[in-house]
Amino acid sequence: MELGSSSTSAAQDFHDIFGHVSLDESWKSRTGRGVNVAVIDSGIDTNHPLLQGKVVESVEAVAEHKRVLFAPSESGDSAGHGTACAGIISSIAPEAELYSIKVLGAGGAGDGQAFLAGLEYAIKRRIRLINLSLGTTKPQFFAPLHDLLDRAYQAGCIVVAAANNLPQPSFPSVFSSSLISVSKSEEADPFHFGFRYGEVIELTAPGVNVRTTWLNGGFRSLTGNSFACPHIVGIIALLLETYPTLTPFQVKSLLYSIARRNQES
Amino acid sequence: MTNPNLEEKLRTIIETVDVANALTEPLTTSIKNLLQLSAGSMKSEEASVIIRDGDDGDLRFLVAIGKVADQLLGMKIPSGKGIAGFVYSSGQPVAIADVGQESSFYAEVDKRTGYNTQTILATPLRHHGEIIGVLEYVNRVGEPPYDSFTPFEMDKAALFAEAIASLVNAYESAKLFRDLGEKMLADDNAGGGGGTSGFSEVREWLGNLRSTAEHREMIDLAVTVREIASRGAAERRLCREILEAVLKYSDSSNSLETSFLNY
Repeated sequence: MELGSSSTSAAQDFHDIFGHVSLDESWKSRTGRGVNVAVIDSGIDTNHPLLQGKVVESVEAVAEHKRVLFAPSESGDSAGHGTACAGIISSIAPEAELYSIKVLGAGGAGDGQAFLAGLEYAIKRRIRLINLSLGTTKPQFFAPLHDLLDRAYQAGCIVVAAANNLPQPSFPSVFSSSLISVSKSEEADPFHFGFRYGEVIELTAPGVNVRTTWLNGGFRSLTGNSFACPHIVGIIALLLETYPTLTPFQVKSLLYSIARRNQES
Repeated sequence: MTNPNLEEKLRTIIETVDVANALTEPLTTSIKNLLQLSAGSMKSEEASVIIRDGDDGDLRFLVAIGKVADQLLGMKIPSGKGIAGFVYSSGQPVAIADVGQESSFYAEVDKRTGYNTQTILATPLRHHGEIIGVLEYVNRVGEPPYDSFTPFEMDKAALFAEAIASLVNAYESAKLFRDLGEKMLADDNAGGGGGTSGFSEVREWLGNLRSTAEHREMIDLAVTVREIASRGAAERRLCREILEAVLKYSDSSNSLETSFLNY
């Protein structure tokens, strides 16, 4: 096949080389055991019947002298969103160990600052897999986020971020080289996710009317890119249990390979 | 107090009151009209524009349409509460098909309004990358059970949000200048005048103003320019030259700052 210069032919070439990576199906029957997963969000309701015993640590952002620190949290989830994401991850990887890093609704620091501090906290703690269903469009956060994502990449932390579904790009979901970014699809099977090589937001996963855990022991049907993101986190937790030493780059290659196989089937 | 320029004073008062009303009222009417139009297109029964209220992430209803619109107006949403709080602080649009009554925040609002929130779509209002509020659509036209909002409608809501956000930003700026005008007028009436004494009183008012840091800075700048302008022609000329230099600098640095977005 002749090498072309357009992105379409580049994608085709990439597929020819890496699209048929041999991977057995055993990872699909894993449970995410031993994999640490941070949920940087609105907190997690640890008393939810489906989440009891799965959240090993809960911290929340506390503003102190213009700095953001993290203290043990007992305030649970203020909005329901973090609980929803935790429920989705847990539905795919029920034995993953969840770390709740509450940066929304914790009071104190404003938009962006707490979110950055939460990401930094997770990277410093070397939490292997990070669910980031948040983003910002403020240009002033571009550089610090880029720096943090590079640090995550070098530390082997795999960051999965939701696209913002809006006309303007949001950070960090557009940093396609150093993290995995996800948008919603109407697909219902979490194992049947998609990969759009050449697009800014590469992965697609279920994100329409997703039934998951909610506040006060309840359940909700939710739509949004932020519910597609934890599906991919759950999938990666299974891969990391199966192949514990995978680097962020290798994880992305595997996702691409699996998605190609999904599309062919 | 005897005022030698009573006629001029009265004219200033009338002009200020007129300007105050002219600044904000047409904007809220325009926001309401656009909201009504968008709700029709979204086949939604209730819709509201919720804006930031201070720097701590609190929100308040600015404009609402539907059966309980009047009860919602002015109602506050504490930081991070409910889906509006989440959407505001995260920037992520969210739709919930079955809000239900056990959800603490909406149960509380519904209890106060007598309404029954069943399905909801919330999307952020952004202006120049800054989240300035939330646009919400609640329930459907007709009888329950209501269809959930679709991904297509989520995209459509984002487009309406872009248009409404421009109006909300204009409203916020106009409201602050209206408040500033009223404050300066009050200072004039109290004998503060335009000199240093009035200036420090306005500064104090600014310090106590419950608005966002961005708007406080904007109005602070306006007050400073007004103060400089009152000091003489040389000060006015120097001020204009400095401000023009800042504008030129801003134009050149903005073109660099945003170049990374043009991928």
